[in-house]
Amino acid sequence: MKIIDSDVHQTWANPDEVMKRLPRYFRAEKYQIPGGNYVNPVSVGRLDAQGPNGEPPGGSYEMMRDQHLNAQGISAAILTGDGIQGLGVHPHAEFAKALARAYNEALIETWLTWDERMWGALIVAPQDPAATAQEIRRLGGHPRIVSVLMTSATRIPLGQSYYWPIYEAAAEMGLPVSVHPGNEGKGISNGFIAGDPSTYLEWHTNLPQNYMGQVVSLLCEGVFEKFPTLKFVAIEGGIAWIPGVLWRLDKNWKALRSSVPWLQRLPSEYLFDHLRFTTQPAEEPERPEMLLQLFEMIHAERTLMFSSDYPHWDNDAPRHAFPRMPDALLARIMHKTAEETYPFAKAERGAS
Amino acid sequence: MKRHVVCKVAELPPGERRLIEVEGKSIGVFNLHGEYFALRNLCPHQFAPLCLGKVTGYCESSPVGEFRWAREGEIIRCPWHAWEFDIKTGRSIFNPHKVRTKAYPVTVEKADESAEPHVEVFPVSVEEDWVVVNV
Repeated sequence: MKIIDSDVHQTWANPDEVMKRLPRYFRAEKYQIPGGNYVNPVSVGRLDAQGPNGEPPGGSYEMMRDQHLNAQGISAAILTGDGIQGLGVHPHAEFAKALARAYNEALIETWLTWDERMWGALIVAPQDPAATAQEIRRLGGHPRIVSVLMTSATRIPLGQSYYWPIYEAAAEMGLPVSVHPGNEGKGISNGFIAGDPSTYLEWHTNLPQNYMGQVVSLLCEGVFEKFPTLKFVAIEGGIAWIPGVLWRLDKNWKALRSSVPWLQRLPSEYLFDHLRFTTQPAEEPERPEMLLQLFEMIHAERTLMFSSDYPHWDNDAPRHAFPRMPDALLARIMHKTAEETYPFAKAERGAS
Repeated sequence: MKRHVVCKVAELPPGERRLIEVEGKSIGVFNLHGEYFALRNLCPHQFAPLCLGKVTGYCESSPVGEFRWAREGEIIRCPWHAWEFDIKTGRSIFNPHKVRTKAYPVTVEKADESAEPHVEVFPVSVEEDWVVVNV
């Protein structure tokens, strides 16, 4: 079966590949993507994914090709960078925008030329929505750019009108907007509502908290009434929380509908139409078949797309991460929903 | 159970490991402080190459709030999801009865007792012992 992988982390053996494209001023100032208190004790990168010449995991094209694309039978991989979306929590908006431009140009000029299976996500800086909209219009038409990607960690919930110039540009260019976690509580972003946990284990487990807030905001603020063609991809934020949040939201909406009068339908209906979730890290319930019950609750045939998160420590193998399921559902998750979400066809149009 | 010569004892010093292919199976052979152990190079979780992971110790605790590092060099963590396994038994730390990989007995034998055909690829020396994995 064809497999489209919505989250593959590539980097460069030599970080200069991006840095040489960054204006000299920003290099001289030594700005860095914000780190944080939560360091993965077993290393974020898979130890068996280090390249033969000392490349970091994801930094060797040959290794990714052999160890992931070929070995797992991946026919298309969306390249999401190696934590680069974290530029979106840097306090310096000008630096964030400049780094995004440098990264996007490096991605287009290197990785996206190396293999027909590689597709790109354009990294953007939400600190300056108007300028980000320009960046989306500048590069979003490239035939191998199929998504706009930013950090899920924010100062302001993602549904609010502050972000709408980004969504407007993405919708105009026919690109979904994706968010990726990892920067929660770092830089200028908010931490978790209960406060800062002690360990990486807790921090990583809590990431769906943020996704709950972002999805509720996107649904309630009317983003999908305002931009009816927009698709929004929630990468790596988990899926088991979706039914509980949706049922609560739908129930509240029946009583409190006038708070969000622009919504014409149950909030859940907007989610099924516009939100897409990636599978990794696949939840592992007490009994594997419980995952299929969850799939039914979230209309997985419409909302769920496979992702591996290669080469990270919690990555999933497409053939071993899920219980047995009907072929039609598996095909939806493995490639069909992704084919409807990402504009792969424009590469053919560009070539003709 | 069939015997498979791995290497000379001197070629696998304490703290080191060697990957071999036996009957189509990838197997990791480990020297722990002079004792030898062999594990199937396959994590039961998502079939990752377990024996490529980091060899380390682990942390025990009792009561709550205490951290005690133990068994340095006797634990291997899968290179994918970092699940901990006991190199001596192949059993996982978090669920040793249900989550485990296959462990094979390893013996040390006199060179002249190892009449395997592929023994001949090594220089013959009757003084040195062979590490033999029994699959």
